Parts: sequence; structure tokens; C-alpha cells
Amino acid sequence: MELLDRYLQAVKKHLPWQRQDDILAELRVNLESQLEDREAELGRPLTTREAEDWLKQIGPPIQIAARYQPQQYLIGPAIFPTYWYVMKLVSLWAMAVYGIVSAIQIFSADNPTWTSALEALLRAPVVLLNTATWVTLTFAVLELVVANYPGVWPGIPGYPVDWSPAKLPALEKDGAPGNKPRSHAQAIAQVIFGFVFLGWLLLIPQYPYLLMGPGAGFLRASPFQLGPAWVAFFWWIVALNVVQLGWRCLDLARGAWQRRRPVQEIAIKLFGLIPFVILLTQPGHLFVTLKHPELDQSVHGATVDTINHGIFHALQVVCVIIVLQLAWEIVQESLKAYRKRIAATL
Amino acid sequence: MTPTENIYENLRLELRRGCLTLAVLAQLRQEHYGYTLRKALAERGLVIDESTLYPLLRRLETQGLLASEWREEDKRNKRFYRLSGNGEQIFGQLLDEWQAINASINSIL
Repeated sequence: MELLDRYLQAVKKHLPWQRQDDILAELRVNLESQLEDREAELGRPLTTREAEDWLKQIGPPIQIAARYQPQQYLIGPAIFPTYWYVMKLVSLWAMAVYGIVSAIQIFSADNPTWTSALEALLRAPVVLLNTATWVTLTFAVLELVVANYPGVWPGIPGYPVDWSPAKLPALEKDGAPGNKPRSHAQAIAQVIFGFVFLGWLLLIPQYPYLLMGPGAGFLRASPFQLGPAWVAFFWWIVALNVVQLGWRCLDLARGAWQRRRPVQEIAIKLFGLIPFVILLTQPGHLFVTLKHPELDQSVHGATVDTINHGIFHALQVVCVIIVLQLAWEIVQESLKAYRKRIAATL
Repeated sequence: MTPTENIYENLRLELRRGCLTLAVLAQLRQEHYGYTLRKALAERGLVIDESTLYPLLRRLETQGLLASEWREEDKRNKRFYRLSGNGEQIFGQLLDEWQAINASINSIL
């Protein structure tokens, strides 16, 4: 039957080449016997349409041939949980390192621009893809080794051979460090210390030694002074503390001091970024100036430039760290909220 | 196919997979070639697709559970399979396991 020959020819193309003649001969005799039975039942040869239906029922040639292939996974079920765990961990670290390196590169450039930040952001998926590719390739090789040499490395698939329940990490406290309900005494203490801190903060302009200690005397005697940007910075810090304190007092008054409020904390941290932005956008980056520029410029001018340059870069690094930390917290809190929502729907 | 039907189909295939191997091993206590084996199983109510049965025979042979030989019958060369010594031993163990599972399920039901 020509149709059967064509079918077998198509199957042959997808069979493993070492055994294809043998498999094909067996398949042919099985299908021919089946065909003979069908024809004997009907008392006539199958029509072309019937033969087509019969072969269609058996399945596409590629599917038949695929069943003769040895079972091979790119990443098998034994290794997959470890693969997925490593993938998440490595991707996270790769993104963190990439984020820090990119931020340092951008801010240490002479003219940091939004374009360079955008370029770094657009490169992030490529970095992630590269990381995923290397992790997958490594595990695919591991799978290949385990599948072909199971006796050589019996400990590879999945879990370590010396796994023991005694080596499991200690139980994580439900609230540690931030979820534990606050006691009333703790909440009151936070408000009291908040007021004390605010008082201390407000006294600093008048008594700088409260912040700088003996350094205040040195600054007074030196030809340098703090630039005007620090005034705005200071009042933003005061405002931030007032808002935070107000929020805590409100929580205390409403009897809502027990649980932490992630949205509130994130909002405070976002608010806390503003003073740093004010400093960073200060025209000319004049964090330290000369008290008498007309007299001291020739002697101390270069020193002031170096100090300002150093402070500017230090502030950039601090700012990047705060932003990354904030982004991480937002992601964590969003995931928690998402999980809660899913759990609520179940 | 609805999601429920899809879940059912996957579970059904999973359930059948092990049973088919057991049925093939049981049937091959007598010698068969592919097509007569398929017919014999179908007559006992176990219909197996060609695309499942024939590769399964090859796999079981590679694992040493079946022995095979090419022989002429009705003017045709056919590959006949039967349970090997190792296959008989494993079949016995699998049968015990299956009977234990079956008994447990029955007692649960």
C-alpha cells in the first residue's frame, strides 16, 4: 500500500538513525498485520479515504518516531527544584550587582544623565537573560552527566547526600525583625524618644557640638564653613521626624500601635530621600565653602573642591543604596500583599 | 477541553501509564509480536495506541525485562517478545505492589 509506505518513510526520517531500519521493519509488519485484519473484516481493500483515516488515527509520523527516542530532559524533575532555586538566587544577585555597578558608573561619570540611566535599565533584561542562559546551560550539562553516568555521580540529582533534618536552619520567628506586634510600652517609648530626638535635632544649629563634638570647634576655627544647602537638608530632616512622630502619636491615639505599617514606613523612607535629592541637585555642589574666599581661595580653594567632590560622590552612593533598599522593600511588601490577597481568595 | 477535563485527562494518563506496563509484562508471559499483543490486550479491555505500545516494548527490552527475536511467521518476519528472567522477577514484584495498592484502595473505598 503506497500510503503506508509513504507514512513509514515519513516516520523513518525522525527515528534514531542507529536503530531506524530495525524499528521500521517491526513497525511495518505490525501495521501491515493490522491492515490485513481490517481488510479481512471488510472483505475488500481499504479505500484511500479509509486508509487516510486509519493512519491519522495512529498519529503523525513525528509523534510516532518521537516515542522511540530515549527519554531525555533538558532539566529533569530530580534536578529541577535545585535548578529553580539556584536560578532565582543567581538572578537576584546578578541584578543586585548589576544595579550597584551601573549606579556607580552612572554617578561617577562627569555628567550623569537620564539617558545613561535609561540605557542601564534597558540592558538589565539582557543581563538577566545571560544569567538565566548560563545557569540553564550548567544544569543541562549536569542533567546530561547524571542521565548518562548515574553511577559516577550518584549524589548530584536534586539534594545533597548528607542531608539531615538536624542541619535545617533555625525556625524563623514570625515577626522577626519587623512583624512582631509592638507592646504599648514600646509604642510609648518610641514616641518619647522621638520627642527627645527632635529636641536634640532642633538644638543642633545653636549648639553644633551636639552633633560634631570637638569637630564643631575645629570647624569654627577653620577657614571652611558648611554651604547653604545643609540648611534646607536640616529642615527636611526635622520635617521628616515631625511627620514620623505625628504618625506614631496618631497610631497611639487610635490604638493602632501593635502592627507595623509597611506603607507608612515606605512613605517615610520615600520622604527621607528628598533631603538627599536637595543636596545632590545643589548647583555647583557647594557643600563646603570658604568663610573668606577673597583671602583663602588661593590657599584652600583646591581643598574645598576636593572635599565637595568627595561629599558629592559619597552622597550619590548613599542615595543609590537607599533607593535599592527601598525598591527591595517595595517588592517584598508587594509580594506579601499579593500572597495575602491570593490566600484570601482561596 | 475545559480545565477540569484537562486535569482529569492528565490524571487518567498518569494512572494508566504504570498499569499498561504491568499489563504488557503480564501478557508477555506468552510470546507475542507487537500487533497480536495489542489485539490480545484489547480483547481483555485494555486498548493501547500503536504509538504507545510499540515504543514501550522497545523500552522494556532495553531495560532487560523483555527478550525478543526476529522469526518468520506467515511468510513475514516478525519480532516476537516474551518476558525475560529478569522481567519475570520484576513483574512478580510489581504485581505484589499493584495488588497491595488495589487492596488498599478497595478498603478505603
